[in-house]
Amino acid sequence: MKKFLILALMTGAVMAEEVPIVGNVQSKCIINTDKAGVYGNPTADKLSTAPADGGVLPIVRYDVSLAGAYTAKVTTPTSFSASPSLNDTVTWTGSTEVHEVSDAAMSDYEANKVTYDATTEYDLHTAGTTWFKMSSTAEYGYGKSFPGGTYRAVVVAECIAN
Amino acid sequence: MQTLLILLAFSLLSAAVEAHEMTPTHPKFEVSHVEGVYKARLAMFNKRKDVEYYEIGVFDEKWEPVPFVSAYKVMRMPYLSHVQFDIYVSAMDSTIAEYVCSVSKLRENSDKKPLVATRICSRFK
Repeated sequence: MKKFLILALMTGAVMAEEVPIVGNVQSKCIINTDKAGVYGNPTADKLSTAPADGGVLPIVRYDVSLAGAYTAKVTTPTSFSASPSLNDTVTWTGSTEVHEVSDAAMSDYEANKVTYDATTEYDLHTAGTTWFKMSSTAEYGYGKSFPGGTYRAVVVAECIAN
Repeated sequence: MQTLLILLAFSLLSAAVEAHEMTPTHPKFEVSHVEGVYKARLAMFNKRKDVEYYEIGVFDEKWEPVPFVSAYKVMRMPYLSHVQFDIYVSAMDSTIAEYVCSVSKLRENSDKKPLVATRICSRFK
C-alpha cells in the first residue's frame, strides 16, 4: 500500500507542468469613453449637453502610466456629423473641464490648461487617471427652431506623446 | 435586494469599459528587409465596443502627413482584439517623421452612435 502511494505521488510529480504567464508593462496612454454624451433640447433653437437642459455630459478618462510623457487634447464639436438639412448658421459653444483626478499632484491640471478655438490641452505631468467632462451647446439661427430629426456631433479626445 | 445590488454593480462595470490603447510611447525605427527603408513596430488594443476600425497616420513636426506604407491604413479591429503592425518609411522620411497616430473611425450607420472619437499618437525619438 505504501509503495503504491509513493508511486502515485511520483507519477503526479512527473505529470506536473509549468505554465508560465508572461506580462510586459510599458508606458502607455489609454483613452476610455466612460460616458457618451447626449444632447438635450430645452428650447426649440437649442441643443445642449448640460444636465439642466436635459442633456448628459460626455466623460472621457485618460490612464497614463508614465509621468510627463503625454499631452491630452480635447476638442468639442464645431459642426454636426449628422443632422437634417439646415439653412441657417449654428452657433457652437463648448468647454472641457477636469472632472476627477486620481492623484493630488494633478490638482493644477485645470488651472494650467491651454484653450484655443474649441480645443483644450492638458499637460499630463503625473502618472495616473484623469477624467474630463465636456459641455457642448448648439444654437440655431436667431431663435429659429431646429428642424425635427437626429443630430449628432463628435468630441475628439487625443493623447499625444511628448 | 442583494441580487438587485449585484445586477446594478454588473451593469455599472459593463458600462465603463470602452478604451483605445496604442504602444509604445516612443517607437524607434529599425532597418527593414528592403534597403533604404526603415520600419517601426507598434501595437494596438481595441476595447471600444462602438468602434471597429482605426486609421493609421504618420506626421512630421508640423503635423503634415509623411508618406508611409503599412499592410492596412485603415485596420479592422474587432472588440477586445490586439493587433501588431509595422509601418515602413523611406530613410529620408524617417528623419522627419515625428508622430504616428491611430484614430478611431466612427460610422454614421452604426447602431451604437459613438460620440467620442479617440486619437493616440506615439512620438519617434
